[in-house]
Amino acid sequence: MSELLWAEKYRPRSLSEVVNQKEIVERLKRFIAEKSIPHMLFAGPPGTGKTTIAHALAHDLYGENYRQYMLELNASDERKIEVIRTKVKEFARSRVVGEVPFKIVLLDEADNMTSDAQQALRRLMELYSASTRFILTANYPSKIIEPIQSRCAVFRFTSLKREDVVGRLMYICNQEKVVCREKALDIIYDISEGDMRRAINILQAAAALGEVTEDSVYKVVGLAHPREVREMLQLALAGNFVEARRKLRDLMINYGLSGVDIIKQIHREIFSSEVKLPDELRIIIADYAGEIQFRLVEGADDEIQLNAFLARLSLLGKKIKV
Amino acid sequence: MPWIIKYRPKHINDVVNQDEAKQKLINWLKAWEEGKVEKKAILLHGPAGCGKTSLVEAIAKTFKYQLFEMNASDSRRKVDIERIAKAASQTAGIMGRRIILLDEVDGLDPRADAGGVEALIEVIKNTRNPIIMTANNPYQEHLRPLRDVAELVPMKRLSERDVITVLERICKSENLYCEPGALREIAKRSEGDLRSAINDLEAAAALNKKVTLDTVKAVSTYRNRVHAPWEALQKMFNSSYIFQAREAVTSTDLTHDEFITWINEHIPTYYENPEEMWRAYEALSRADIYLGRIVKTQNWDLLSYAIEMMGPGVAFARTAYKYRWKAFKMPEKIKLLAEAKKSREYREALAEVLASRLLTSKAIVKSDVIPYLRVIFTQNPAYAAKIVLGYKLPEELVKWLAGTRAKDVLSYVKKGKK
Repeated sequence: MSELLWAEKYRPRSLSEVVNQKEIVERLKRFIAEKSIPHMLFAGPPGTGKTTIAHALAHDLYGENYRQYMLELNASDERKIEVIRTKVKEFARSRVVGEVPFKIVLLDEADNMTSDAQQALRRLMELYSASTRFILTANYPSKIIEPIQSRCAVFRFTSLKREDVVGRLMYICNQEKVVCREKALDIIYDISEGDMRRAINILQAAAALGEVTEDSVYKVVGLAHPREVREMLQLALAGNFVEARRKLRDLMINYGLSGVDIIKQIHREIFSSEVKLPDELRIIIADYAGEIQFRLVEGADDEIQLNAFLARLSLLGKKIKV
Repeated sequence: MPWIIKYRPKHINDVVNQDEAKQKLINWLKAWEEGKVEKKAILLHGPAGCGKTSLVEAIAKTFKYQLFEMNASDSRRKVDIERIAKAASQTAGIMGRRIILLDEVDGLDPRADAGGVEALIEVIKNTRNPIIMTANNPYQEHLRPLRDVAELVPMKRLSERDVITVLERICKSENLYCEPGALREIAKRSEGDLRSAINDLEAAAALNKKVTLDTVKAVSTYRNRVHAPWEALQKMFNSSYIFQAREAVTSTDLTHDEFITWINEHIPTYYENPEEMWRAYEALSRADIYLGRIVKTQNWDLLSYAIEMMGPGVAFARTAYKYRWKAFKMPEKIKLLAEAKKSREYREALAEVLASRLLTSKAIVKSDVIPYLRVIFTQNPAYAAKIVLGYKLPEELVKWLAGTRAKDVLSYVKKGKK
């Protein structure tokens, strides 16, 4: 009587289960037959299967226990190149037994690394190329420095097509015996912008409410992304600082958001069409948001800095009369 | 005999302007007699020289209690605590009723007298006599256990008028001629500290049988006072000069970080005008930045900038000066901060668990997965319970995810395990 997140449960384990990115899969299968792979860069939008395919590749190469032959790093969680270096060094030192003469380092979201860190990474790739292969993933390949790109076989992942995503969702619904309307799956595709992981998350949450309908999909998305940040901005702009501050505390306590999380969301909201503001004000506010984010990253106090931000909004709102 | 002892109040009516505290104490003692007290001890708090000890003594005299007095800050040794315990545990005998007075409990040093607070709590639990404790600032962290077992009774800082009333009484009984301006000056400099006012009057009288404004100015000095946080805020926000605002910041026994928390809480209490509010917050946020830089670089030279921003910077954010009295309460943030930190840790822990299972970064789990998990946990507890079992999520994470539905989810988890 236990259940997993469907994003995990329905992840393809082997390349043969992957239904899209056909050309890429074909090329990778050839590598497996030869038991030899180059360094690789998987580039493409989120949720198109980069990481999943990297795991499937390793699975097909090493078998069920493939994870012991693979070092998984995520550049957005481990920003320090020193950490990456130590881990790679440690991992590359141990010899591989078996028929595959190398191990794999999977470095996810490599485009989150600074170019200095990438230079260091390049040296690591050269240093350990005898015993390891690197697979890098990136949303924006242009943010990967050229020397790395030139050392890698580059694979461009394309956005998933509507029929691929809807087909997969339909398959899951059948497996899970969930009643769903096709229109609802269409809407899930639109909301998730072709990101399979997000689409499956939405489907599972909607299914938890019962039948998957257009209404239940919208309801789930509304519940998952409360408009707390927007409401806080609107309260502040209306000059109600005290209420805005209460919302801020709510976000920090009930949602566990850090000051940086909140200011980033604010930044998105400032340019949203649903927040009615004159454009010149959006620019002023965005500039100040940037200043606040910088202070927070430097270690300033979340609440004091965000209060200063909200106080400024109250003042600006009063002057312009939004 | 020094005047401060000679003119101690002998009757409760001699105690000036503390009617609320008086009434509370009298009612509480009455409840003790009838065995109906809710808390067996009282923590009487207020600024220095407002008459805490005098009030207790006057009450004892008026209602015929034997006063068993003990200065808590001297009683470090075990034997002293035991002596208090013994006195407290005895029932009223031939010697009559007794009050145990523990003076200056905030003088207990949390490091040097480790265990002192615990020992006092033990005494309070077992006492058969009313215990009254006094403290200037009862909100210090190490006194928290005492705040829980004792009823807090506040005393006001005395006004200039109150101080003058008492000084006039003394002048009359000493047959002393005093210029009215002189008494006013003493009272002003005392800032409500009656003890220091009486000392100053005595010093001036010793110099000259006739107390004039000039003699007062010669003998009495402004003292460096420790203020309770709300008093310091009152002074700071209402200061007319930069130096006053700066002094107010350093006049409490809070750390700068703690005092910033008080200011952060109360900028909107004091300011209503958005322009003033924003200027005040901007100054405070600058102070916060300076303090951060000090921590990072250990460059303590920067401290004066931080103090100037948090004190004068905030106080002079006003567009026009007007004295405003405001109630500055204990900041909510102190409590909320701990909760927010916990919440952030839960989110981080959950992201850690799920990121490796879902082959993605913690950042993606936080933005794309946790929000939908929350929906499931708050909307369908039975289904959520299955996921709890699938990932072996610990109870505190379930509580965090499910909020008010936590009970439902957990009871399904229990059933599911069987």
